[in-house]
Amino acid sequence: MASFGLLDRRLLVVTGKGGVGKTTVCAALALLAARAGKRVLVCEVNATRERVAPLLGAPASGPFVREALPGIFTTNVTPHEAMREYGLMVLKFRTIYEAVFENRLVRYFLRMVPGLAELVMLGKVLHEVRAEEGGRPRWDLVLLDAPATGHAVQLLRVPSALVDTVPAGPLRHDAEWMQALLVDPARTGVALVTLPEEMPVNEVIELDGLVRGELGMAVAALVVNAMPPARFDAGEAAELARLAAAPPPLGPAAEAGRIQALRAEAAGRYLVRARAALDLPTTVLPLLPVAEWGPAAVEEIAAALAAAPPAEGRP
Amino acid sequence: MTTVRESLGGRRVAVCVGAGGVGKTTAAAALALSRALEGGKVLVCTIDPARRLANALGLATLGNVESRVPEHKLAEAGLRPRGELWAMMLDVKRTWDDLVARHAPDPARRDRILRNRLYQQMSAALAGSQEYMAMEKLYELSTDRDYDLIVLDTPPTAHALDFLDAPDRILDFLGNETARALLAPALGAGRFGLRLAQLGGGYVAKTLARFTGQQVLSDLGDFLQGFQGMYDGFKERAGEVRAMLARPETGFVLVASPAAAAIEEALAFHERLHAESMPVAGLVVNRLTPDLWPAATPLPRAAELAAPLAAAAASAPDLGARLAATLAEHQAMAAAERRSLAGLLARIGAAHALVPRLEGDVHDLAGLARMADRL
Repeated sequence: MASFGLLDRRLLVVTGKGGVGKTTVCAALALLAARAGKRVLVCEVNATRERVAPLLGAPASGPFVREALPGIFTTNVTPHEAMREYGLMVLKFRTIYEAVFENRLVRYFLRMVPGLAELVMLGKVLHEVRAEEGGRPRWDLVLLDAPATGHAVQLLRVPSALVDTVPAGPLRHDAEWMQALLVDPARTGVALVTLPEEMPVNEVIELDGLVRGELGMAVAALVVNAMPPARFDAGEAAELARLAAAPPPLGPAAEAGRIQALRAEAAGRYLVRARAALDLPTTVLPLLPVAEWGPAAVEEIAAALAAAPPAEGRP
Repeated sequence: MTTVRESLGGRRVAVCVGAGGVGKTTAAAALALSRALEGGKVLVCTIDPARRLANALGLATLGNVESRVPEHKLAEAGLRPRGELWAMMLDVKRTWDDLVARHAPDPARRDRILRNRLYQQMSAALAGSQEYMAMEKLYELSTDRDYDLIVLDTPPTAHALDFLDAPDRILDFLGNETARALLAPALGAGRFGLRLAQLGGGYVAKTLARFTGQQVLSDLGDFLQGFQGMYDGFKERAGEVRAMLARPETGFVLVASPAAAAIEEALAFHERLHAESMPVAGLVVNRLTPDLWPAATPLPRAAELAAPLAAAAASAPDLGARLAATLAEHQAMAAAERRSLAGLLARIGAAHALVPRLEGDVHDLAGLARMADRL
C-alpha cells in the first residue's frame, strides 16, 4: 500500500464520462487512503443527490464537512454555501457580508458573472487543500469527485480564464493561486476513469488532451472500470455461436457465453485502444456482477485497486 | 401494444430526453430514419459533440444547416426510403447570435450586444444556454420549414430536467425583475457605471467591485443596457416554444438504460411532463440484458451441460462450468434490470421499446435501421 503513489498528492481530481463509475472509484480511493493512515476529504460538486457518503454507508453530509468513516470526511460543495464562505473570508465580518451578499441586486449580479459560481466552488475545494491546522495540513489528501467531462473542464478552466481576463484585484489574486495549485504536478493530479467501451474511450482520449493541453494539469492515472473477464478463447467463442441455437439448457447457456465473449472481446479492443492512445499508468478494474451499489461493492473496488494500483511513471 | 414508432406516427416534433450515455442520439437517429423509410421528410437535430451521429449517417461533418443524407449512402446500407432523411448539428453560439439579431431594433444595437464580452461568455458557457438554444432552434425549424417530422436529440445535461428549466433560468437571468426595477432609472440615464454607486449605497457597489473588478461591472451594465427593450421579444418567443412543446403534435420520447440513475431521471422527467401536460409519446430502454432463461425454472448446473456439450463435440472439459456460471451471472443481471425497470414501466402508460444491448455499437445506417426495427 505504501507504493500507492496516486494518493501521495495533496489533490486528486477524478473525472470521466457520465456513468463510468467516477464516484465509486472516488469512494474506493478514499477507503484506501484512510487505511494507509491518511486524513481524507472527498468533495462532490453541487450534486443534486449526494452519492459518496451513502456509498460508504454514511448519511449525506450536505454542504458541511462531515466524517463518514474514521478518517474519511465528505462534503457537497454548493454555489450558495461556497459563495457565503468566500464572502465571509474576504469581508471578514458577518454583518458586512449580510449587508452586501444578501442584497438582492448583488445576488443577481453574482449570478450574472459567468464562471463565478464555478470559481467559488473550486475555490472552496482548493482552500481545503491548502488549509493548515496546528502547523500541519488539515487534509493529507483531498479527492475531488469532479463532474463529467465537459462540465469538469469548464470548472477547472475558470481560474486560468479569470487570470486572462480579470484585471489585478482580489479575484485575480485568488485565481492566480488556484491556478498555480492546479498545474503543480507535485501537489495535484487528475485520475481519468473510463469504461472499456467505444464512447467512453473516445471521450477519455479527448479529455486527456484537454487536461494536459488546455488546463496544463498532470494526468496521474487511467482507471478502466468494469472490465469483463476473458472467459472464452476465440475458438470457443466461435463454437458458442454455433451452439447458441441448440435446445435448452445448452442453447441459452451458450448464448449467454457468446454474448459474454463478444463483450469481453470488444472491451479488450477498447482497452488496447485507450492504452495505445494514452500511455498512462493504468489500472483495470473487473466488472462486478452487482445490482446494488453500496459499501460492499466499494470494498471490492478498493480491493481491486489495491491489488493492481496504477504504477507511477510511464510503463 | 403500439410501438414507439407508431406512437410518433401523426406527430411533427419528437424530443428525445434522458440521462447522459443512454443512447439518446442513436434513438433519435433511428426514429428519424424509420419515418423517412416509411415516407416523409424528416430532420434529426443533435448537438452531440462527438460527431457520432454524422458518422453513423455517413456524413463527413454536420453543421448548423441541414444536410440531406444521400440516397446512395442509404442504398449502400440496403435501405430504400420513400421519404427523405436530413440531419444537422446545432451550433449554440450561432443560434444565440441569430436570436439577438432577430430581436435587436437596429444593427448598431445588435453589434453592441454581439461585441459585449459578457454576452460572448454567456452564449458559449452559461449553464442552460445549450438547452435554451436547442429549443429555440427546434421552434424555428418547426415553423419555418416543411418537415413532416423533426427529431431533437437533447444536450447531454447533468440532469435531464435541466432541459425544461433552462429557458426559464436564462430568461430570469436576462430579465430579472428586481434588477430591472432597480436599474431602470440608471439604465434610462445611460450612465450605468456611475449610477450603480447609488444602488443600495456606494458601499455595496464598491464591495462588489472588489470581488469582480470594475471591468466586469461595466460589461454587465453595457450588456443590460444593450438588452433593454429586447427582453419582451425573448419572453414572448419562449412562451411560443413552450406552447409548441405542449401541443399534441409534439411527443417526448424518454430514453433510459437499466442503470438506476437513468431510470430515476426518466421517472422524474415523466412526472414533470405529466404535471405540465406535455405529451409523452414513448419510452425507449436501451442496453437491456436479454432474458435467456425462464425465471421459474432452476438454472442448469455444469453437469447438465456436460452431456449436450460432449454430444456437440465441444472440447474443453471445464466449458460446462464456465457456461453455467456465465448464464447464472447473465440472468442475475437480467433479473435485476427488470426489477429496477418495473416501476418505470408501470408508471408510463405510453408505448415502450426494450432494446437489448446491441452486440457492438451502432456505427452506420444499417445499424440504425436494425435499431429502428426494435422501436
